[in-house]
Amino acid sequence: MKSKQKIVYFLFILSFLLAGCEKDYSSVSRWALLKTVDPKPIAIGDKENGADQQAVEEIKKETSETDGIYDVAVVKGAKDIIVAYKVEHMHRFKMKSIEKELKDKLKKNFPDEQFTVSSDFKIFLETVRLYDRIEHNQYSEKEANKRVKQIIALKKELT
Amino acid sequence: MANKKNKQKTPQQQQYEQLEKKFETKRPVLKNCIKAFFVGGLICTIGQVISYFYIYFFHFTEQTSGNPTSATVIFFSMLLTGFGIYDRLGQFAGAGSAVPVSGFGNSIISAAIEHRTEGFVLGVGGNIFKLAGSVILFGVFSAFVVALVKTIIMELGGL
Repeated sequence: MKSKQKIVYFLFILSFLLAGCEKDYSSVSRWALLKTVDPKPIAIGDKENGADQQAVEEIKKETSETDGIYDVAVVKGAKDIIVAYKVEHMHRFKMKSIEKELKDKLKKNFPDEQFTVSSDFKIFLETVRLYDRIEHNQYSEKEANKRVKQIIALKKELT
Repeated sequence: MANKKNKQKTPQQQQYEQLEKKFETKRPVLKNCIKAFFVGGLICTIGQVISYFYIYFFHFTEQTSGNPTSATVIFFSMLLTGFGIYDRLGQFAGAGSAVPVSGFGNSIISAAIEHRTEGFVLGVGGNIFKLAGSVILFGVFSAFVVALVKTIIMELGGL
């Protein structure tokens, strides 16, 4: 009985300790690893003509239509566009061919743009977090562009 | 081959073999397989949760989170071996607890505990890698061979 009580106390204290780790993210990025969040595509610093916004929306549509891909996050920075996506479970065996197919498709349809394409969960999570912060006006345009560069650097990391 | 051996045996030997078979307890192979499947799967699920933890809270991508995850699983299995819990799990699940990377930690610590009485240098130090040493050696050597083959292929112009 005493050991049971100890376990209950331990779990109670642990829940408080873990609650301290909670960061102030909105619900979109909080569940990004576990369920489909489908964030809106964003073009950083595109408030005047809306052409960039239209382009990223098209990119998102193209990506979502690719076989085996669901849940796409697109963020356009100053130079690069990050396209992060999740792959359906049984399609994960041919992840490389899906990435190649998507890269070729995007290169063909948007020859002027520079893409960073990734199916990595971390890149997806960070892209959604970036989307969240831009949406909640927590980032200035400069900060957002810096974050885009950081995410691209993270994608290139191998060890 | 088996028949040849049987022919060489005397009638008494063959009779004894039949008698032995009658009293031999049958190994519950299917039951053991099921146990190993579920316990091994459970260990891998825990590993996946740890991997997600590193992706979510630290700067690890899906590709780079593998190293800290296996290190954490090995560390916990070492602790559990020291407390005497992993041995019981090993008795219950067999290969299910030995094949995942946690079995590696178990093999190191159990060898250390076994030879503790022979002293710290010749006992623990000399025997700690008795089982895991071969795993490390073959791992490093096969990695070296694969790297060598890849380098030669790439130098010749790639695939």
